[in-house]
Amino acid sequence: MHKNNIILYLCNWGPHVAFQDLLDKCADIPHEIKMIRIPCTGRISKTLLFKAFEIGADGVALVGCVAGTCRYGSGTNVAEKNVEDTRNILDLLGIGKERLELATFLPDDSNELLEFLKRFSQNIQKIGKSPIVHQKIDFEKRLISREKIGSILKKHNIYVCQDCGKCSSGCSLALSGKTFSPRSVANSLIAGDIYSENVFKDIWSCLTCGKCYDICPMAVNFPEFIRDIRELFRTHGMSPRETHGGFFQSLMRTMISPDIKPLHWQYLPEGIRLNKESKTLFFGGCSPYFDTFFRNHLTVSTFDIMVDSLKVLNFFDIEPAILENERCCGHDLLWSGDLNSFLELAKLNSNIINSKGFDTIVTSCPECLKTLLYDYPKYGIKLNPKVVHIYDLLESEIDKGAVSFKKFDKKMLFKEACRLDLGENEQSKKLVERFKKIQDISVIPNECCGNSSWVGCDAFSKALQTKQLKQARNMGFDLIVTSCPKCQIHLKCAMEDVFIGKELEIEMMDLTSVIAKTIFWT
Amino acid sequence: MNNLKKEIIITGFGGQGIILAGKIVGMASALYDNKESTFVQSYGPESRGGFCSAQVVISDKTIDYPYIKKPDILVCMSQGGYDKFIYNLKEDGTLIIDSDLVKSNIQREEYFSIPATRIAEEMGRKMMANIIMVGFVTSVTHVVSLEAAKKTVLESVPKGTEKLNTEAFIKGYDYGMATLKSREKKASGNIGA
Repeated sequence: MHKNNIILYLCNWGPHVAFQDLLDKCADIPHEIKMIRIPCTGRISKTLLFKAFEIGADGVALVGCVAGTCRYGSGTNVAEKNVEDTRNILDLLGIGKERLELATFLPDDSNELLEFLKRFSQNIQKIGKSPIVHQKIDFEKRLISREKIGSILKKHNIYVCQDCGKCSSGCSLALSGKTFSPRSVANSLIAGDIYSENVFKDIWSCLTCGKCYDICPMAVNFPEFIRDIRELFRTHGMSPRETHGGFFQSLMRTMISPDIKPLHWQYLPEGIRLNKESKTLFFGGCSPYFDTFFRNHLTVSTFDIMVDSLKVLNFFDIEPAILENERCCGHDLLWSGDLNSFLELAKLNSNIINSKGFDTIVTSCPECLKTLLYDYPKYGIKLNPKVVHIYDLLESEIDKGAVSFKKFDKKMLFKEACRLDLGENEQSKKLVERFKKIQDISVIPNECCGNSSWVGCDAFSKALQTKQLKQARNMGFDLIVTSCPKCQIHLKCAMEDVFIGKELEIEMMDLTSVIAKTIFWT
Repeated sequence: MNNLKKEIIITGFGGQGIILAGKIVGMASALYDNKESTFVQSYGPESRGGFCSAQVVISDKTIDYPYIKKPDILVCMSQGGYDKFIYNLKEDGTLIIDSDLVKSNIQREEYFSIPATRIAEEMGRKMMANIIMVGFVTSVTHVVSLEAAKKTVLESVPKGTEKLNTEAFIKGYDYGMATLKSREKKASGNIGA
């Protein structure tokens, strides 16, 4: 039998004295506990707590000073919040919140500490090994060859670039003031300038929003080009600094483990009608994890989008099925260059979905839509059911007649999502047009919310968000209607600014939620 | 509906396709629903654009007399037709109107309406209003079955317009289904999401 792995993050100050005492006394500390000395429990972020599980821990104990005795004042308080959030994430992931515990001790509490360690170790013994399989990454040791870059350049036909500069003129990042230009990245790579610092920075700071692709006269699909280069860079160990310490990438990678059974649907409110036999599958997305992760910081509730989507489906007497142990679609892994993990996840998803015999997948998340509809087939992963966005389905139902919308008393600004282009999606466009006739709503075309796939957030992302929010406020809007949960998270982040946050505050709601609130049978 | 006789009057302007609509309903039940049916059209100066009507009787038994005094179902696609026949409609009869062309000015508790002409215009051909109406009548009254009506529509319309007419039929049918659902929701007192 494999022994359990238990990580003990031990604060340098109070409890370490107690631990030292135990060592001096040759106390029988359980063998599976591996101690890591840390400066303060407050510095162990949610990411560090979670990463331990990603790489194979079965239990993690964070041990610090009793509140009030923290050397730095607020360490224990911060740790309490971090541990609670991470425990809730573990709960959503279905591996059990008991695997993570926070305990505090005074320097004299060596007996209590020993007792705690024994009890914790027994608990973990009872729960058993964690189902998470560590995804080891083998980096390519050799340098990136010109041929490899060349084949990607060729695949996306980058050589047709006329150097006209239209891409830069439309680029969200360039317009926010950053010295970034899609064509200069292309030119540098064509010239073989692979290892320069600027290229590295640019590859990882591109927002992949696709505005440059929209206006490029030669139709160079720059975002997908960036995606392939990112994959190449990552396999050669040239990874970026992921936002939130790479928490979400870690989270998504853990979902590759075949035995893991995420339970993020467990908090669905009562009154939602679901049908296990249904041929329609509702694919929710990662909202519950976002809400839990950002609970103390942004207080977003993107889970409402999922609930409201189900409510609207029920409104039309569509009772969809859900995957009880739904996993992430893999969007963020794909766009942050982790192609292998994406493919693993996609295979798992497609096997599960195809085995159940659905004929339609409905999703309310633009990223899930784009990934399931376009990217899975592109990488040879076949999904048997047809994939539609909830707007498509709603439009065809509303078009049958006998429903209308109540007037919503807000001046609304609809923010298009980069992954759901209304120009390409006929039905969604019709729905928004229909909505426009009744509601006071204006549409702004694809304007980046400042970040995508949890890489490359910086001051310019903030500038982008600030600009948009200020504009919306100045134009007298009082509700931003989004279609992607990430837009809400990122814009909300700008509103949290301690200096100018108040000037930026504006209510946000997803279009599906607005529809759920206003739709009625006439 | 078993062993029941249904008498239907469809009225409107000449040129709206009233006669064709009546013919489709009658033929569908006779050819595909294994029922008896008769069809009488008013044939006169009306067909130059004035008021016009079609009378259809559908029954499980032999029909002895094809003319209708008190219809069970009245379909109105013009105000003139409505004014002329509304007082003949049975008390528990079903009234169906084109909501843009007919204003129901007497108090009736329940009637069905569909903006058939507007929908047809939105679909690109105003002349398909009658087929939309046939779809609507099919779903809200059940006098003919969906399959029968659909087949007959396909056989009755000019060659080359089958696809568009099927779409129009389905549109009317769906509108009817949505209307029924809406009534059901209202009855249960739950109209929001």
